[in-house]
Amino acid sequence: MAYLSIRNLSKRFGQTLAVRDFNLEVERGEFVSFLGPSGCGKTTTLRMIAGFEIPTSGNIILDGADITFLPPNRRHIGMVFQSYALFPNLTVADNIAFGLKVAKRPPEEIRKTVGEMLDLIRLSGFENRYPYQLSGGQQQRVALARALAIHPRVLLLDEPLSALDAKIRVELRAEIRRIQQTLGITAIYVTHDQEEALSLSDRVVVMYEGKIEQVGTPFEVYNYPQTRFVASFIGQLNLIPVIVEDPQHGLVRFGNFLFQVDPAPHLNRGQAVTLALRPEEMNLGRVEGRNHVEGRVLDVMFLGAIVRVRVDLQGREVLADLFNERQLALPRPGDQVIINFPPHACWIISEG
Amino acid sequence: MDQNQRAPLRQRLVSWLILLLGGLYFFVPLIATIDFSLRARKGVLSVLAYQRVLSDPRFASAFTFSLEMALLTVVVGVILVVPTAYWIRLRLPQLRPVVEFVTLMPFVVPAIVLVFGLIRVFSRPPLLLTNSFTGTQILLVAGYVVLVLPYLYRAVDTGLQAIDIRTLTEAAQSLGAGWWVIITQIIFPNLRSAILSGAFLTITIVMGELTMASFLVGLKAFGPYMSQVGQNRAYEGAALAVISFALTWAFTMLFQFVGRRALGGDQAFGAR
Ligand SMILES: Nc1ncnc2c1ncn2[C@@H]1O[C@H](COP(=O)(O)OP(=O)(O)OP(=O)(O)O)[C@@H](O)[C@H]1O
Ligand SMILES: [Mg+2]
Repeated sequence: MAYLSIRNLSKRFGQTLAVRDFNLEVERGEFVSFLGPSGCGKTTTLRMIAGFEIPTSGNIILDGADITFLPPNRRHIGMVFQSYALFPNLTVADNIAFGLKVAKRPPEEIRKTVGEMLDLIRLSGFENRYPYQLSGGQQQRVALARALAIHPRVLLLDEPLSALDAKIRVELRAEIRRIQQTLGITAIYVTHDQEEALSLSDRVVVMYEGKIEQVGTPFEVYNYPQTRFVASFIGQLNLIPVIVEDPQHGLVRFGNFLFQVDPAPHLNRGQAVTLALRPEEMNLGRVEGRNHVEGRVLDVMFLGAIVRVRVDLQGREVLADLFNERQLALPRPGDQVIINFPPHACWIISEG
Repeated sequence: MDQNQRAPLRQRLVSWLILLLGGLYFFVPLIATIDFSLRARKGVLSVLAYQRVLSDPRFASAFTFSLEMALLTVVVGVILVVPTAYWIRLRLPQLRPVVEFVTLMPFVVPAIVLVFGLIRVFSRPPLLLTNSFTGTQILLVAGYVVLVLPYLYRAVDTGLQAIDIRTLTEAAQSLGAGWWVIITQIIFPNLRSAILSGAFLTITIVMGELTMASFLVGLKAFGPYMSQVGQNRAYEGAALAVISFALTWAFTMLFQFVGRRALGGDQAFGAR
C-alpha cells in the first residue's frame, strides 16, 4: 500500500462541491503537484490532508493509519503557506524552533536542528532577525525550514512562491526541489503555474472543477493528455478541424490538404473531428515524410530561445514555435508560408 | 510661481492654527487648574494645597485602592476578552455583530442602572456578595469589566484584525501546537500593543469612575474621594485633579514600559 493514500475524498461547502471523489496514492519520498485553474479545489484537498478541513466523505490514510479525523496538531504534517505565516513576535531561530519546543525536545537537540535547518536554507547568520527584517524570499525559506524542522511525515506547500517576483520564484523553486530530494521527504505542492508543476514534480495531478482530470509524470500529462481540458490547460495547443478520409490508414482532410495521422479505426469516414498538436511540433518549410499545409503569417513574437509565429490557416489561427538560431530567417507578417508537422505529433479529439 | 507657493503656505498655516486651537482646548483648562491649585494662600503662589492633599492618608489609600481595582479589571478583562475575540474571529465570525452589540451595552445602560442591578442581585442568597468587603470588591471589578468592555474589546479586535490569525493559527497547529500554546505564545504576544492601549484606557476610566465606586465602596475609591474633596475644598480639589492627572500619566508610562517586556514573548523563548 502506498505511503499516503487518499480515497474517494469529497468536500462540500453548502451548495459547492469543492472536491469530488478524489483518489490518489503517493509513494514515500515522492513530489506530487496539484495543478489546476483557480477554484478547482486544490487548496481544499490540501487542507483536508493537513486536517484544517473535515472531508464530507472519503478517507485519508497515512503510513497505514487512518488520519481523516485526526486534529491537525497531531498529524505531524508540515505546511508552507502562500503568505509565509511566520510568527511576527519570534526571531528566525525561534520560528524554526517552535515545533520542536512544542514537542518539548531537549534544548541541545533544538539548537542543533535549528543550525542544520539554517544551513539547509542558506540563511545562517540570520537567526536573530525578526520576520519583518527579511525579504519575501527569505521569509518563505524560513517558513520552509520551520515546517521541516519537526521532520514532518509529509510536507504540504500551498502556492508557496506566488507572492514572490519571477526571478526569486525560479531560484526558490530549484531550492525547494533540492531540499526535498536531500531530505527524501514526501511533498505535495499546490500551484496554478504549470511551469512550476512540470519542472518540480515526480507526478502532476491535474484538477478541474473539483475532479482529477489526469495523474501522470510531467512528460505524460504534457505529451499524452487524456482529456480535452488537460490538453488545453497545459501548454499551448493548436486545434485544426478536419474530416476523416480513411480511418484505417489515418488519413484526414483539411480543405485541399491531406494529412497523415495515426490510424483511428474507431472513427467513421466523413466524420468531423479536431486535430490537436503542440506549437513546437510545427515548423516552417518542406520536409520529406511530414504533413504540409499553407498559411499566411499574422505576426512573429521573439521570445528568446523560441520564436513564436502566429499563422492563419484558411481562417483558423495556429501557433508554430521555432527554435531560435542566429541563421534563422524570420518570416514577416503577410508572408505566405508552408508549415510542416510529423504524423505522430497529433492526436484526434472526436467530440464536438 | 509665487502663487504656487502661496497655497501650501496657507494650508500649513491653517494646519498650525487647528493644532494651536486643539492645544488650547486641552491645555487652557489644565493650566487654569494648575494655576488655581497654587493659590491656596491669598496673594502668593504656594504649594500649600498640594501639601494638604498629600498629607491626607485617605489620599494614598484611595489612590492605591483604585489602582488595584484598575489592575484587576485589566487582568480579568484581558483574560475574558482576548480568547473571546480571537475565537469569534476564527470560528464564529457570524456572531461578531452580536458580540459587538453586547460590548456596547455600557453606552446604552447607564452605570447607575448597572450598579443597582448588581446590588439587587447580589445582596441576597444564593449569591450574597454585598455583605463583605471582598464581595463588594468582586462586584466592583465585575462592574468595571463591563464598563470598559467597549474599549477593551475594540482595541483587541482591531489588534486581531492586523494579524492574519487564521493562518498563524494553522501554522502553529501544523507544528503541533494546541490551543493553550497558540493563545499564550502566538496570540497574546502579537496583540501586545493592542492590549496595552486597551489597558491604558481601562486604567484611566477606572481611576476616575464615580458612580459604581460610590455605591459599592464609597470614599475608599479614588473617584468618590476626589469628588468629595472637590466639593468641600476648592484648592485641594484642584490640586488633587492635577496630581491624579500626573500620576495617571506616569503610571501609564511605567505600565507601557513594564508591559512591553512582560508581554514581549521574549521571556518565553529567551533565545537572545
Ligand atoms: N470555507 C469555504 N466556504 C465555502 N466555499 C469554499 C470554502 N473554501 C473553498 N470554497 C470553495 O471551494 C472551491 C474550491 O476552492 P479552493 O480554495 O480549494 O480552490 P483552489 O483550487 O485552491 O483555487 P486557487 O487557485 O484560487 O487557490 C471554490 O469554489 C471555493 O469558492
Ligand atoms: Mg488555493
